[in-house]
Amino acid sequence: MKVTFKIQKFNPENDTKPYMKEYTVATHPNAAVLDCLNDIRWHQDETLSFRRSCGHAICGSCAMNVNGKNGLACQTLIKDLKQGVITVRPLPSFPIIKDLVVDLDKFYAKFSKVIPYLNNDGPVPEKERIQLPEQQKIIEESTTCILCASCTSSCPSFWADDDYLGPAALVKAFRYVFDTRDTTAEKRLKMVNDKNGVFRCHTIFNCNEACPKDINITGHIAELKLALVTTKM
Amino acid sequence: MKKNVYEPRYRYHAGTVAWILHRLSGLALILYLAMHIWVIHHLNRPLDFNNIMAFLNEPVFKILELGLWGVIVYHALNGLRIIMIDFFTRKGAAVQKQMFWGAVVLGVVVFAAGAIPFVGTMIK
Repeated sequence: MKVTFKIQKFNPENDTKPYMKEYTVATHPNAAVLDCLNDIRWHQDETLSFRRSCGHAICGSCAMNVNGKNGLACQTLIKDLKQGVITVRPLPSFPIIKDLVVDLDKFYAKFSKVIPYLNNDGPVPEKERIQLPEQQKIIEESTTCILCASCTSSCPSFWADDDYLGPAALVKAFRYVFDTRDTTAEKRLKMVNDKNGVFRCHTIFNCNEACPKDINITGHIAELKLALVTTKM
Repeated sequence: MKKNVYEPRYRYHAGTVAWILHRLSGLALILYLAMHIWVIHHLNRPLDFNNIMAFLNEPVFKILELGLWGVIVYHALNGLRIIMIDFFTRKGAAVQKQMFWGAVVLGVVVFAAGAIPFVGTMIK
Protein backbone atom coordinates (compact mmCIF):
# COMPACT_ATOMS: atom_id res chain seq x y z
CA MET A 1 0.00 0.00 0.00
CA LYS A 2 1.15 3.52 -0.83
CA VAL A 3 0.84 6.27 1.75
CA THR A 4 1.43 9.99 1.23
CA PHE A 5 3.15 11.94 3.98
CA LYS A 6 3.14 15.69 4.39
CA ILE A 7 6.09 16.55 6.59
CA GLN A 8 7.03 19.92 8.00
CA LYS A 9 10.56 20.89 6.99
CA PHE A 10 12.64 23.74 8.34
CA ASN A 11 16.35 24.35 8.09
CA PRO A 12 17.24 27.53 9.98
CA GLU A 13 20.35 28.01 7.80
CA ASN A 14 18.36 28.34 4.54
CA ASP A 15 14.66 28.80 5.33
CA THR A 16 12.91 31.79 6.83
CA LYS A 17 9.90 29.76 7.93
CA PRO A 18 8.76 26.11 8.02
CA TYR A 19 7.12 24.60 4.92
CA MET A 20 5.36 21.30 4.13
CA LYS A 21 6.89 18.70 1.79
CA GLU A 22 5.15 15.64 0.38
CA TYR A 23 6.59 12.12 0.18
CA THR A 24 5.01 8.86 -0.98
CA VAL A 25 6.07 5.66 0.74
CA ALA A 26 5.28 2.02 -0.10
CA THR A 27 4.40 0.51 3.25
CA HIS A 28 2.20 -1.89 5.22
CA PRO A 29 -0.85 -1.11 7.43
CA ASN A 30 0.99 -2.58 10.42
CA ALA A 31 4.00 -0.31 9.91
CA ALA A 32 4.57 2.56 12.32
CA VAL A 33 4.94 6.19 11.28
CA LEU A 34 8.58 5.95 12.40
CA ASP A 35 9.22 3.11 9.90
CA CYS A 36 7.95 5.35 7.11
CA LEU A 37 10.07 8.29 8.28
CA ASN A 38 13.11 6.00 8.28
CA ASP A 39 12.18 4.85 4.76
CA ILE A 40 11.97 8.46 3.59
CA ARG A 41 15.29 9.36 5.17
CA TRP A 42 17.11 6.28 3.85
CA HIS A 43 15.69 6.23 0.31
CA GLN A 44 14.24 9.64 -0.60
CA ASP A 45 15.48 12.60 1.40
CA GLU A 46 18.57 12.25 3.53
CA THR A 47 18.18 15.81 4.84
CA LEU A 48 15.01 14.91 6.79
CA SER A 49 15.83 15.24 10.50
CA PHE A 50 14.00 13.61 13.38
CA ARG A 51 14.91 12.06 16.71
CA ARG A 52 14.54 8.34 17.24
CA SER A 53 16.25 5.72 19.29
CA CYS A 54 14.64 2.54 20.59
CA GLY A 55 11.63 2.19 18.27
CA HIS A 56 9.72 0.37 21.00
CA ALA A 57 7.90 3.21 22.76
CA ILE A 58 10.13 3.36 25.80
CA CYS A 59 12.84 5.96 25.12
CA GLY A 60 10.49 8.83 24.27
CA SER A 61 12.74 10.30 21.54
CA CYS A 62 10.36 10.19 18.57
CA ALA A 63 7.53 12.24 20.07
CA MET A 64 5.95 14.35 17.31
CA ASN A 65 2.63 15.68 16.09
CA VAL A 66 0.98 13.18 13.72
CA ASN A 67 -2.32 14.24 12.13
CA GLY A 68 -2.69 17.01 14.69
CA LYS A 69 -2.14 14.87 17.78
CA ASN A 70 1.05 14.39 19.78
CA GLY A 71 2.41 10.91 20.31
CA LEU A 72 5.31 8.59 19.60
CA ALA A 73 5.98 7.97 15.90
CA CYS A 74 7.08 4.40 16.69
CA GLN A 75 3.79 3.63 18.47
CA THR A 76 1.47 5.23 15.90
CA LEU A 77 0.52 2.60 13.32
CA ILE A 78 -0.59 3.48 9.78
CA LYS A 79 -3.78 1.41 10.13
CA ASP A 80 -4.86 3.39 13.22
CA LEU A 81 -4.69 6.70 11.35
CA LYS A 82 -7.42 8.18 9.21
CA GLN A 83 -7.09 7.20 5.53
CA GLY A 84 -5.47 9.80 3.30
CA VAL A 85 -2.48 12.07 3.63
CA ILE A 86 -0.64 11.79 6.96
CA THR A 87 0.59 15.12 8.29
CA VAL A 88 3.69 15.10 10.49
CA ARG A 89 4.83 18.19 12.38
CA PRO A 90 7.28 18.74 15.24
CA LEU A 91 5.92 19.00 18.80
CA PRO A 92 3.97 22.27 18.91
CA SER A 93 5.19 25.33 20.78
CA PHE A 94 8.82 24.26 21.28
CA PRO A 95 11.53 26.11 19.31
CA ILE A 96 12.45 24.11 16.17
CA ILE A 97 16.10 23.15 15.71
CA LYS A 98 15.61 21.43 12.34
CA ASP A 99 12.62 19.71 10.67
CA LEU A 100 11.03 17.54 13.38
CA VAL A 101 13.74 18.12 16.00
CA VAL A 102 12.75 20.59 18.72
CA ASP A 103 14.69 22.29 21.50
CA LEU A 104 13.72 20.66 24.82
CA ASP A 105 16.10 22.62 27.08
CA LYS A 106 13.32 24.58 28.78
CA PHE A 107 11.28 21.42 29.20
CA TYR A 108 14.09 19.73 31.11
CA ALA A 109 14.81 22.90 33.11
CA LYS A 110 11.22 22.89 34.38
CA PHE A 111 11.47 19.20 35.08
CA SER A 112 14.48 19.72 37.34
CA LYS A 113 12.59 22.50 39.19
CA VAL A 114 10.30 19.98 40.92
CA ILE A 115 13.32 18.14 42.47
CA PRO A 116 12.81 14.93 40.44
CA TYR A 117 14.70 12.55 42.71
CA LEU A 118 14.20 10.86 46.06
CA ASN A 119 15.06 12.89 49.17
CA ASN A 120 15.09 11.52 52.67
CA ASP A 121 16.51 13.43 55.64
CA GLY A 122 16.24 10.42 57.97
CA PRO A 123 19.11 8.10 58.89
CA VAL A 124 20.40 5.93 56.06
CA PRO A 125 19.13 2.37 56.52
CA GLU A 126 21.43 -0.62 56.19
CA LYS A 127 19.42 -2.10 53.31
CA GLU A 128 16.89 -0.50 50.96
CA ARG A 129 14.06 1.80 52.10
CA ILE A 130 10.96 -0.34 52.54
CA GLN A 131 7.74 0.46 50.73
CA LEU A 132 4.52 -1.56 51.02
CA PRO A 133 2.78 -2.73 47.81
CA GLU A 134 -0.27 -0.54 48.53
CA GLN A 135 2.03 2.48 49.00
CA GLN A 136 3.69 1.73 45.68
CA LYS A 137 0.30 1.45 44.01
CA ILE A 138 -0.40 5.16 44.64
CA ILE A 139 2.60 6.25 42.56
CA GLU A 140 2.81 3.30 40.15
CA GLU A 141 1.05 5.01 37.24
CA SER A 142 3.11 8.19 37.54
CA THR A 143 6.40 6.23 37.50
CA THR A 144 5.71 5.02 33.95
CA CYS A 145 6.37 8.48 32.44
CA ILE A 146 9.09 8.29 29.75
CA LEU A 147 9.63 12.09 29.47
CA CYS A 148 8.74 12.29 25.78
CA ALA A 149 7.23 15.82 26.19
CA SER A 150 4.07 14.90 24.24
CA CYS A 151 1.85 16.08 27.09
CA THR A 152 3.53 19.40 27.85
CA SER A 153 3.61 20.31 24.16
CA SER A 154 -0.11 19.44 23.79
CA CYS A 155 -1.23 21.68 26.66
CA PRO A 156 -2.99 24.96 25.71
CA SER A 157 -1.96 26.43 29.07
CA PHE A 158 1.65 25.80 28.08
CA TRP A 159 1.10 27.30 24.60
CA ALA A 160 -0.17 30.45 26.30
CA ASP A 161 2.53 30.60 28.95
CA ASP A 162 6.08 29.36 28.49
CA ASP A 163 6.70 29.45 32.23
CA TYR A 164 3.93 27.01 33.17
CA LEU A 165 5.55 23.92 34.70
CA GLY A 166 3.56 21.68 32.38
CA PRO A 167 2.00 18.23 32.78
CA ALA A 168 5.25 16.21 32.61
CA ALA A 169 6.93 18.11 35.47
CA LEU A 170 3.73 17.95 37.53
CA VAL A 171 3.42 14.19 37.08
CA LYS A 172 7.01 13.87 38.32
CA ALA A 173 6.19 16.14 41.28
CA PHE A 174 3.25 13.86 42.07
CA ARG A 175 5.49 10.81 41.84
CA TYR A 176 7.73 12.09 44.67
CA VAL A 177 5.16 14.02 46.74
CA PHE A 178 3.19 10.81 47.27
CA ASP A 179 6.24 8.55 47.61
CA THR A 180 6.19 7.35 51.23
CA ARG A 181 9.99 7.13 51.31
CA ASP A 182 10.43 10.80 50.46
CA THR A 183 10.51 13.53 53.13
CA THR A 184 10.53 16.71 51.04
CA ALA A 185 6.89 16.62 49.89
CA GLU A 186 6.17 20.04 51.40
CA LYS A 187 8.98 21.72 49.47
CA ARG A 188 7.64 20.27 46.22
CA LEU A 189 4.04 21.16 47.05
CA LYS A 190 5.13 24.76 47.65
CA MET A 191 6.89 24.72 44.27
CA VAL A 192 3.79 23.50 42.39
CA ASN A 193 1.59 25.99 44.31
CA ASP A 194 3.41 28.79 42.46
CA LYS A 195 1.50 30.95 39.97
CA ASN A 196 3.02 28.85 37.19
CA GLY A 197 2.12 25.63 38.97
CA VAL A 198 -0.86 23.27 39.14
CA PHE A 199 -3.56 25.93 39.09
CA ARG A 200 -2.67 26.80 35.50
CA CYS A 201 -4.24 23.45 34.60
CA HIS A 202 -7.73 24.09 33.25
CA THR A 203 -8.70 20.41 32.82
CA ILE A 204 -8.56 20.47 29.01
CA PHE A 205 -7.32 16.84 28.89
CA ASN A 206 -5.07 17.26 25.83
CA CYS A 207 -2.28 15.69 27.92
CA ASN A 208 -4.33 12.59 28.71
CA GLU A 209 -5.14 12.19 25.01
CA ALA A 210 -1.50 12.60 23.99
CA CYS A 211 0.24 10.42 26.60
CA PRO A 212 1.71 7.32 24.89
CA LYS A 213 1.82 5.55 28.26
CA ASP A 214 -1.87 6.31 28.97
CA ILE A 215 -1.14 8.09 32.25
CA ASN A 216 -4.21 9.87 33.63
CA ILE A 217 -2.20 13.10 33.84
CA THR A 218 -5.05 15.54 34.52
CA GLY A 219 -6.21 13.22 37.31
CA HIS A 220 -2.75 13.30 38.88
CA ILE A 221 -2.65 17.10 38.65
CA ALA A 222 -6.13 17.21 40.25
CA GLU A 223 -4.77 15.10 43.10
CA LEU A 224 -1.93 17.61 43.61
CA LYS A 225 -4.50 20.46 43.63
CA LEU A 226 -6.58 18.62 46.23
CA ALA A 227 -3.48 17.97 48.36
CA LEU A 228 -2.62 21.69 48.21
CA VAL A 229 -6.03 22.82 49.44
CA THR A 230 -6.36 20.14 52.13
CA THR A 231 -2.88 20.14 53.75
CA LYS A 232 -1.63 22.78 56.17
CA MET A 233 1.76 24.14 55.21
CA MET B 1 9.71 30.75 16.38
CA LYS B 2 6.65 32.70 17.41
CA LYS B 3 5.44 31.70 20.83
CA ASN B 4 2.43 32.18 23.08
CA VAL B 5 -0.27 31.38 20.54
CA TYR B 6 -3.12 28.93 20.50
CA GLU B 7 -2.41 25.97 18.19
CA PRO B 8 -5.61 25.70 16.12
CA ARG B 9 -4.24 22.71 14.18
CA TYR B 10 -4.16 20.53 17.27
CA ARG B 11 -6.83 17.81 17.24
CA TYR B 12 -10.03 18.53 19.17
CA HIS B 13 -11.79 16.07 21.49
CA ALA B 14 -14.52 16.20 24.14
CA GLY B 15 -12.20 17.82 26.71
CA THR B 16 -11.13 20.64 24.37
CA VAL B 17 -14.70 21.35 23.29
CA ALA B 18 -15.88 21.36 26.93
CA TRP B 19 -13.12 23.81 27.87
CA ILE B 20 -13.69 26.20 24.95
CA LEU B 21 -17.47 26.23 25.51
CA HIS B 22 -16.91 26.78 29.24
CA ARG B 23 -14.68 29.79 28.52
CA LEU B 24 -17.09 31.29 25.97
CA SER B 25 -20.15 30.75 28.17
CA GLY B 26 -18.24 32.30 31.08
CA LEU B 27 -17.48 35.40 28.98
CA ALA B 28 -21.12 35.58 27.86
CA LEU B 29 -22.24 35.43 31.50
CA ILE B 30 -19.88 38.27 32.47
CA LEU B 31 -21.28 40.35 29.60
CA TYR B 32 -24.83 39.55 30.69
CA LEU B 33 -24.05 40.43 34.31
CA ALA B 34 -22.69 43.83 33.30
CA MET B 35 -25.80 44.58 31.24
CA HIS B 36 -28.04 43.30 34.02
CA ILE B 37 -26.46 45.61 36.60
CA TRP B 38 -26.71 48.51 34.15
CA VAL B 39 -30.45 47.88 33.70
CA ILE B 40 -31.14 47.39 37.40
CA HIS B 41 -29.25 50.56 38.41
CA HIS B 42 -32.02 52.58 36.67
CA LEU B 43 -34.50 51.43 39.34
CA ASN B 44 -34.11 54.69 41.28
CA ARG B 45 -35.41 56.51 38.19
CA PRO B 46 -38.74 54.74 37.49
CA LEU B 47 -39.43 56.54 34.19
CA ASP B 48 -36.07 55.54 32.67
CA PHE B 49 -36.49 52.03 34.01
CA ASN B 50 -39.93 51.66 32.40
CA ASN B 51 -38.55 52.87 29.07
CA ILE B 52 -35.70 50.35 29.23
CA MET B 53 -38.04 47.52 30.19
CA ALA B 54 -40.29 48.37 27.26
CA PHE B 55 -37.24 48.27 24.98
CA LEU B 56 -36.16 44.91 26.44
CA ASN B 57 -39.57 43.44 25.62
CA GLU B 58 -38.63 43.42 21.92
CA PRO B 59 -38.57 39.87 20.43
CA VAL B 60 -34.80 40.00 19.79
CA PHE B 61 -34.17 40.26 23.56
CA LYS B 62 -36.56 37.35 24.19
CA ILE B 63 -34.46 35.20 21.87
CA LEU B 64 -31.28 36.42 23.60
CA GLU B 65 -32.90 35.49 26.91
CA LEU B 66 -33.44 31.98 25.61
CA GLY B 67 -29.76 31.89 24.65
CA LEU B 68 -28.85 33.09 28.14
CA TRP B 69 -30.76 30.16 29.61
CA GLY B 70 -28.75 27.77 27.40
CA VAL B 71 -25.48 29.41 28.43
CA ILE B 72 -26.36 29.19 32.13
CA VAL B 73 -27.35 25.52 31.87
CA TYR B 74 -24.13 24.56 30.06
CA HIS B 75 -21.85 26.58 32.34
CA ALA B 76 -23.50 25.16 35.47
CA LEU B 77 -23.44 21.53 34.37
CA ASN B 78 -19.90 21.61 33.00
CA GLY B 79 -18.90 23.43 36.18
CA LEU B 80 -20.23 20.43 38.12
CA ARG B 81 -18.16 18.16 35.86
CA ILE B 82 -15.01 20.14 36.72
CA ILE B 83 -15.89 19.99 40.44
CA MET B 84 -16.20 16.21 40.10
CA ILE B 85 -12.71 16.10 38.53
CA ASP B 86 -11.35 18.31 41.34
CA PHE B 87 -12.78 16.21 44.16
CA PHE B 88 -12.66 12.70 42.71
CA THR B 89 -9.28 13.40 41.01
CA ARG B 90 -8.10 10.33 39.11
CA LYS B 91 -11.48 8.57 39.20
CA GLY B 92 -13.24 11.74 38.05
CA ALA B 93 -10.71 12.46 35.30
CA ALA B 94 -11.01 8.88 34.01
CA VAL B 95 -14.69 9.40 33.19
CA GLN B 96 -14.47 13.04 32.06
CA LYS B 97 -15.71 12.24 28.54
CA GLN B 98 -18.75 10.38 29.82
CA MET B 99 -19.41 13.24 32.24
CA PHE B 100 -19.18 15.74 29.36
CA TRP B 101 -21.71 13.84 27.25
CA GLY B 102 -23.86 13.35 30.37
CA ALA B 103 -23.78 17.11 30.93
CA VAL B 104 -24.76 17.68 27.28
CA VAL B 105 -27.73 15.27 27.44
CA LEU B 106 -28.89 16.54 30.83
CA GLY B 107 -28.35 20.09 29.61
CA VAL B 108 -30.63 19.58 26.62
CA VAL B 109 -33.37 18.19 28.91
CA VAL B 110 -33.05 21.02 31.46
CA PHE B 111 -32.87 23.59 28.67
CA ALA B 112 -36.05 22.22 27.07
CA ALA B 113 -37.83 22.12 30.45
CA GLY B 114 -37.24 25.86 30.77
CA ALA B 115 -37.44 26.86 27.12
CA ILE B 116 -40.75 25.19 26.16
CA PRO B 117 -42.94 27.07 28.69
CA PHE B 118 -40.94 30.26 27.92
CA VAL B 119 -41.61 30.00 24.18
CA GLY B 120 -45.25 29.16 25.02
CA THR B 121 -45.75 32.47 26.82
CA MET B 122 -43.87 34.29 24.06
CA ILE B 123 -46.23 33.01 21.35
CA LYS B 124 -49.30 33.97 23.38
